[in-house]
Amino acid sequence: MTRLIEDALFASTDPVMLAGSVCARCSAHVFPEQTSCPMCTGVDVSRVALPTTGVVWSWTTQHFAPKAPYRTDEFAPFSIGYVDLGPVIVEGWLLGRTSWTIGEPVRLALTKAWTDDDGQIVYTYGFEAAS
Amino acid sequence: MSDDAIYIVGVGMTEFGRFDGEDPELAEQAIRASLADCNLTWADVQFAVGGTNGETKPDNMVARMGLTGIPFITVKNGCATGGVSLMTARNGMLAEGHDIACVVGYDNHARGAFAASPARYGIGPWYGASGMMVTTSYFALKIQRYLHEYAMDARTLGYVSEKAFDYASAHPLAWRRKPISVDEAMDADMINDPLTRFMFCSPDAGAVSLVLARGSRAFDLCDKPVRLAAVTLRGRRPGSFEVFSPWLSPGPRTSPSVDAAAAAFATAGIQPSHVQVAQVQDTESGAEVMHLGETGLVAHGAQEAGYRNGDYLIDGSLPINTDGGCIANGEPVGASGLRQVHEVARQLQGRALGKQVPGRPTIGFTHVYGAPGISACTVLTTEGA
Repeated sequence: MTRLIEDALFASTDPVMLAGSVCARCSAHVFPEQTSCPMCTGVDVSRVALPTTGVVWSWTTQHFAPKAPYRTDEFAPFSIGYVDLGPVIVEGWLLGRTSWTIGEPVRLALTKAWTDDDGQIVYTYGFEAAS
Repeated sequence: MSDDAIYIVGVGMTEFGRFDGEDPELAEQAIRASLADCNLTWADVQFAVGGTNGETKPDNMVARMGLTGIPFITVKNGCATGGVSLMTARNGMLAEGHDIACVVGYDNHARGAFAASPARYGIGPWYGASGMMVTTSYFALKIQRYLHEYAMDARTLGYVSEKAFDYASAHPLAWRRKPISVDEAMDADMINDPLTRFMFCSPDAGAVSLVLARGSRAFDLCDKPVRLAAVTLRGRRPGSFEVFSPWLSPGPRTSPSVDAAAAAFATAGIQPSHVQVAQVQDTESGAEVMHLGETGLVAHGAQEAGYRNGDYLIDGSLPINTDGGCIANGEPVGASGLRQVHEVARQLQGRALGKQVPGRPTIGFTHVYGAPGISACTVLTTEGA
């Protein structure tokens, strides 16, 4: 079984899909799932799988190692972005390079976060270039 | 003048920077300086408000200042603490009929003090573990998007830093007073694209105190009282882009800064274009650029030309952060918003400690902004010469 950084973030791992929640009243999507709607104050919300493709909405590259509780086997500069998935813009790693262009297409992927003490790999989500 | 008018009659501030002593020592220095500035003593103070983001209790300042029995309210609202403290003092004076109040803000942060834990913000541990609980990356992501939307060059950010250190170089209480050029700012170590090492403020120490007076008392205490024409506080609405957000809504962008500034200008009956000297929250260079737009002081997208033209320098059309702002002074969180008011009040009184805005300005503005999406603004005015 795939060990995940947080099980509740994922609707499924094969194929990989993130789970958010959707408000029955105003249709707002949020990530991760929560039990109330911050957009309209509603409480009738349900779990929903989020789209897996989108475009880079903004990005930066982390040039220094974040302090704890950041965890990694070995730090190397990495990119973080916001990805516009349509109903919601989700923050996550941008995988494979350290320079990006706003508007370029990306798709969701599983990626290694760190290796646990028992040797098992812990996975998180990220977005890789789709073109 | 109306009895409901609130004025700043005394100001006091410590030097900002790194400091080894106890936090309340700083606060005491600032309070005593502000009282001396208007020839009052602690015995005259009827109401006090104190703000800090640290562990000490501002209301225990009475142990140093004197046990006079006055009400003393403590405020802890992150980077907006100074503005919230000032608003709390004003509201208390009007509600309770106090004539003289003291507002103090202080902090003494160690290096690296701004690290945050996910649990405090109601986010799961995964967010910090995957390296996203980082304030510098938030600022970078926000300005990266903003520069893209308004087609401005990243070099704008270098101009912000050059201006900050230029002002600070002339200010005796500023922390970092060594001037740097735009090129030096741009060529410094990259922290989070597009922000380099010389574009961020850092945690440090400092304290500021203001003495407020109500109605006609103000003119007995001060030759040139500064009217608190408005002080407003607003929180985020859908569409704001705040620190530590795993998601954003795709709709039109808003900001608590937009709402707080609009409310302040409406209350004061003053247009943003009338402002002659201003302070906006410059936690890093990009924040200053965005906040000039969000407060309505400058049209979105016009900031780059403004920096290149020198509009925000001391002899420009709208001098901004004339004491060096957070970038050069650091951000002792409890004190920072009051530092802004201290600087603008002195500019309006014609007694700036650093560079003085020429031409006797009479209308000033201040803006603080912070986690988890709150902003407080003031409009400050003096009588015409």
